[in-house]
Amino acid sequence: MIARKRATAPLPGWLALVACIAALGFALLNPSASAETAILTPAPSSSTAAPSPPPVDAATLGGRTAMPGDAEVPLAWMPPGTAASPLPSEEIFPPQTISVRFNHKLHVKQLQQSCKVCHAAAFASDDAADRLLPKPAEACDGCHESDHADLLHVKAGSSAIGQCAFCHLGARAGEGGKVAALVVPTPNLHFPHKKHLGRNIQCAQCHGKIDELELATREQMPRMAGCLSCHAMSGAAQGEAKSACSTCHLTQADGRIQVAFSTGDLSPPPWLHQAGHSADWIERHKTVAANDSAFCGSCHTDKYCADCHDGKVRPRKVHPNDWLSMHPQAARQDNPRCVSCHQEQTFCADCHRRTGVARDVASGNRLVGRRFHLPPEVWTTAPRGPQHHAWEAERNLNACVSCHTERDCTTCHATKGIAGGQGVNPHPLGFRSRCSLALQRNPRPCLVCHDARDALLGSCR
Amino acid sequence: MRDCLLARRLTWAAFATVLATLSPARGQAADFEIQADTALQGYEVASPWGDVVLQRRRFLQTVGLGVYNLQGTNRPGEADYRVVMMMRLNADFGVNAHLYDKQSGGETTYATPGGNGVRFVPGLEPAPLDLMFGYIEGRNIAHGLLGFKLGRQYVTDVLGWWAFDGGLVRVTTPFHVQAEVYAGLEQRGGLPLSTTRFERQGEWRGSHAGFGVGAGLPSVTDYPAYQYAEPAPAVGFAVESSGPRWIHGRLSYRHVYNTGTSVVSMFPDPIGGGYRTVAGTRTSQERVGYAAEVAKNDLGGLKGGFSYDLYNQLVATYFGGVEVRAGQRATLGADVDYFVPTFDADSIWNWFTKSPVTSITGRAAIRFTKRWDATISGGVRLWRVDGDPTTFGVEECKAARKEPDCTSVPSPGTSIDPSTAGDPLTAAQPWSRLAESRIVTTTLDALGNLNARYRFGSGNISLRGMLQAGAQGSREGVDVAAEKNIDGGRYTLGARTSLYGWHDPTRPDRDATSFGYVLSSGFRPMRVAHFRLEWEHDMNRLVGQRYRVLGLINLLVLK
Repeated sequence: MIARKRATAPLPGWLALVACIAALGFALLNPSASAETAILTPAPSSSTAAPSPPPVDAATLGGRTAMPGDAEVPLAWMPPGTAASPLPSEEIFPPQTISVRFNHKLHVKQLQQSCKVCHAAAFASDDAADRLLPKPAEACDGCHESDHADLLHVKAGSSAIGQCAFCHLGARAGEGGKVAALVVPTPNLHFPHKKHLGRNIQCAQCHGKIDELELATREQMPRMAGCLSCHAMSGAAQGEAKSACSTCHLTQADGRIQVAFSTGDLSPPPWLHQAGHSADWIERHKTVAANDSAFCGSCHTDKYCADCHDGKVRPRKVHPNDWLSMHPQAARQDNPRCVSCHQEQTFCADCHRRTGVARDVASGNRLVGRRFHLPPEVWTTAPRGPQHHAWEAERNLNACVSCHTERDCTTCHATKGIAGGQGVNPHPLGFRSRCSLALQRNPRPCLVCHDARDALLGSCR
Repeated sequence: MRDCLLARRLTWAAFATVLATLSPARGQAADFEIQADTALQGYEVASPWGDVVLQRRRFLQTVGLGVYNLQGTNRPGEADYRVVMMMRLNADFGVNAHLYDKQSGGETTYATPGGNGVRFVPGLEPAPLDLMFGYIEGRNIAHGLLGFKLGRQYVTDVLGWWAFDGGLVRVTTPFHVQAEVYAGLEQRGGLPLSTTRFERQGEWRGSHAGFGVGAGLPSVTDYPAYQYAEPAPAVGFAVESSGPRWIHGRLSYRHVYNTGTSVVSMFPDPIGGGYRTVAGTRTSQERVGYAAEVAKNDLGGLKGGFSYDLYNQLVATYFGGVEVRAGQRATLGADVDYFVPTFDADSIWNWFTKSPVTSITGRAAIRFTKRWDATISGGVRLWRVDGDPTTFGVEECKAARKEPDCTSVPSPGTSIDPSTAGDPLTAAQPWSRLAESRIVTTTLDALGNLNARYRFGSGNISLRGMLQAGAQGSREGVDVAAEKNIDGGRYTLGARTSLYGWHDPTRPDRDATSFGYVLSSGFRPMRVAHFRLEWEHDMNRLVGQRYRVLGLINLLVLK
């Protein structure tokens, strides 16, 4: 789900009012039957002597969603990079179960509590695995008058705000003070809060304006797009905010990013090098690899690439079923893709030579009279008809090369005489302006078709 | 004797030095990775005429070794050293399997009782062994300033995917620029532990072991197009941006040289009967390329690149694309891709008339949910030729003083058979060489692709549909595949079915519609091992039924 808004629609106002009144009635009749709805009651648990406190209207306290009425959080209050990645990665920040109510705005703005009051551990944390949530005995009990010193025997306070159900959603009186577990899995990354805070990178710079929000969830976790606004230093730069993947991501022994997690496989977001691994990624990855192959190497080994690019087992994601039957037509239509993995004079032609689908082959592999192309009077004999091989060669020279050797073509295209051809000029228009430099750098192809004393060759010298 | 002893001692000293270099320091632990993949494949390949049926009984074995963090403890951003290598045996026990009696062994043996070379395929190896890669690498040396690789390694950039044996040094500056320089020998088929995969197109090279001039030996001049494999020195450099992720560019240059002797004559000299050769160092390829990308995270991005062939003196490839984020679920884009064939500088085909192929496509990628996404793209492929195929021949007939429809009535006079006297081409060629006779005409192929997938916790379902249709024929079809992991991935079940059709106007007798399916199952008895078995069954009117069995064993040990 990409939208930041919760899937659960908020209750209509009139229904909430009816629910509040009904809950109030139930609570007055039977305090132990009240749930986590609108009226909070003290839990009896171990603090049985405490008198019943006056009810508190939870609707005014909030703390169950980020915004009142579960309204969408303005983008300006979200962590940097949210515009590019509306939700944090599930692989990096696994889903949480938040079983408490907490109003950050109330605590920070009204009660003037700084982040450090509750999250002091962050200021000393070097590891993302550190527990940074407040310890209730240290951060909560002072005001809420509860006693979390022994988590197996928590004592509720006497006031309404000291009751278990005031904070713990689903806590019921009469159940021995048991509350639902709060599950905040360890993020799968390296992150030293201490180092960032020490560089005066304050909480809001990564988490957004939590002081404007009620409940903070994993949606307030940083986005990679936000991290990269600082992490842009090359390896040799003096700055600490290196852009290397291993700066933040967990890595394997060989230095590659760990990509497999219980919540899914990590893959690049669409905005990063435009390398989102979409359903058609295999057809698009070449532009990214051409630009920055080291980026690919952040996750993939040499072997991973070689399995397809130098593979000996046909990858079905590239070549579908029955490729053997289909490949001639595919090669005619899309030969640029063939040559990105195959050397045609060997990979293609070796098999073609064995099956006789080539001209310059052993006599036993291609029996007399067998012909692959159209009849000679259409395919090779001049003048050119619409199906003459010249058009095919112009469009698709690589397809010719996957079967034919130089000898086949020089039969006609070499000059007459010592070169043994028929003098059919294959050169493109404008060839003369380029032949001199080509001859200078490598005379071999010229000499295949031209005698060294050929006047035409001399004109290129 | 003393020299021999000295040489032996030096050898041992060198070996000990290498070991000491590669061994982790005392008290420090390197990380080891051993990987082995085994693939067994069995299927048949028939010639179009059906009378040569190759038995493919393939056995592939790769063994990889990686030793990481030779320096000891790995600390991100600090220097680390590693050695990685992978060897491969790619055997086909089906080579020669279809040959019997007098021709037995004829594909790899020149002289058989059935005659010399009647089945011989030069360069065909039943079980080639190659080193895919093997190098020692240092990274982040001198506070991230330096890096190096030494050995057989890949280079991937806008010039393609390439491998060489040699050294590469990378310098990363504090100024968001890094540079790398490399030199060595291109990996060439026919040389020890090498494949032809990384050579430029257009040359048929390989080992001439077993060739000679004696009776029963294949001669070089029997196969003049089959060239010697010689070392190919290569140098290159790249300048690349580093650091910021919103912009990146890489400029690449590479120059590879051919060395040694090459046969030039494709036919014996009509006078002396000999074959001419050239020898010496000459260009194999010299290319420069640049690729770049710039993106704004919440809006989209631009990317593009090109390669220029300095030997051919032309732009060989270029590509470009734009992507726009259309809301939180969709990305829209447009791409262009241009390609004109270029070859090894030894090849004659660089100088044949050839035209570019250009593809222009639009694309939409939609992420419906985290699990379900789809992409759809469509566009055109442009084929260009110099001249108009429908009228060119008529005009040639006129120029040859023939009837305008002479192409439809073959006659001895229109033949280019060397024995034919009065070659009409002589009269037609001046016309065909005129620029005004070569006005570029363009034909189109329509392209369409649809990809969709649904990923759930223990598996996935994917669909791929494609269409390419136009004057060059058509190809269209769809694949549907599904995979399901059971018991936390201990067992895997998979299936794939496909339906494809194709039409080739130049060979209408090869049109067909094919249906195929694949069933597969996997088993992971322990964390380090995975076994997989696949059964493929394809059917079409050309081959009837074709079966393929594939067995895979993957082992991976980390320590």
